[in-house]
Amino acid sequence: MTKITKLSSKNKVIISKKDSKKDIKKNTSQKNIMIVDDEPDNVTTVKTILLKNGYKVLTAVNAEDCLNKIKAGDKPDLILMDIMMPGTPVREIIPKLPKSIKIAYLSVVRTSEAEKEDLLNVGNIVDFIQKPFDINELLKKVKKIVGS
Amino acid sequence: MKYSIKNIKKELDNSQTILLVMPSIEYNDDIVKIVKELSGKSICYVTLNKTSGALIELFKKNMIKTENIVFIDAISKTIKKVPDQDNGVYYVSSPGALTELSLVITKFVKHNFNYLIFDSLTNLLVYESRAPVAKFLSSLVNKIKESKVKAVFYALSVKEQDTLIKESGMFVDKVIDLEKK
Repeated sequence: MTKITKLSSKNKVIISKKDSKKDIKKNTSQKNIMIVDDEPDNVTTVKTILLKNGYKVLTAVNAEDCLNKIKAGDKPDLILMDIMMPGTPVREIIPKLPKSIKIAYLSVVRTSEAEKEDLLNVGNIVDFIQKPFDINELLKKVKKIVGS
Repeated sequence: MKYSIKNIKKELDNSQTILLVMPSIEYNDDIVKIVKELSGKSICYVTLNKTSGALIELFKKNMIKTENIVFIDAISKTIKKVPDQDNGVYYVSSPGALTELSLVITKFVKHNFNYLIFDSLTNLLVYESRAPVAKFLSSLVNKIKESKVKAVFYALSVKEQDTLIKESGMFVDKVIDLEKK
């Protein structure tokens, strides 16, 4: 059984030495989620939920930070990106991110259905999650996008 | 007993600037009711938490004609590419761009709209601290006073922002708390 013992500087789950080789193999295939949000409370909440559900978690404080971390070698399977953050607008960073990484917007801002569809038609955007969100709904969506 | 939004037009006949403190749980219903009451006259609607597209969709769903409403939208530019103005909507770069916001609103105030709806002061606090927000409000109210425009400023009733609500109350003619009679 995998035990979460501590978090590294990049918030990845470190597995216990007691884990069997089989467990370690299982954990290396854990999906990697990057949370990009300028609100530390939001990051903490989403991070806790995802970690508890067996995902590896990376964080970034804004879109530019996300891009830099990916350039530096972070390889998330999914980015949960707040749509409105200080610094370079998210829409300017999205085209610079690798097409292989799926992105779901987290948005406190309300948009029309047509605007939502337009946003979803851009590059690798796969979902639009309205804040405040239900924890189970968020997990369902993450699972649907990257698997558990 | 809860305050009736039906009185808002009457209140604005007597007071040029009103601060409307709204319970967050009923906020989305209340903004529709208020626009419904004021529609028919020209309205300048400043939005800091929804895109103008979302508001138009919401109002149309509730059978409110939007032809008389001009929007100052401080959200859309942050999430998509939009021009500075388009079909009754004027876009401001972000809710935190207080100077730009003030300049655009001032232009509209000069056009003597019947009503100006500012939605909302609470959202400004996400981007700016209390002091600049209070200064912004005070300056805006002074400009409104020089015109015939009647203005409603929304603020969500949240404990953390009690101080701003109290402070803002000093600048406007009347404060109405929708939770109170």
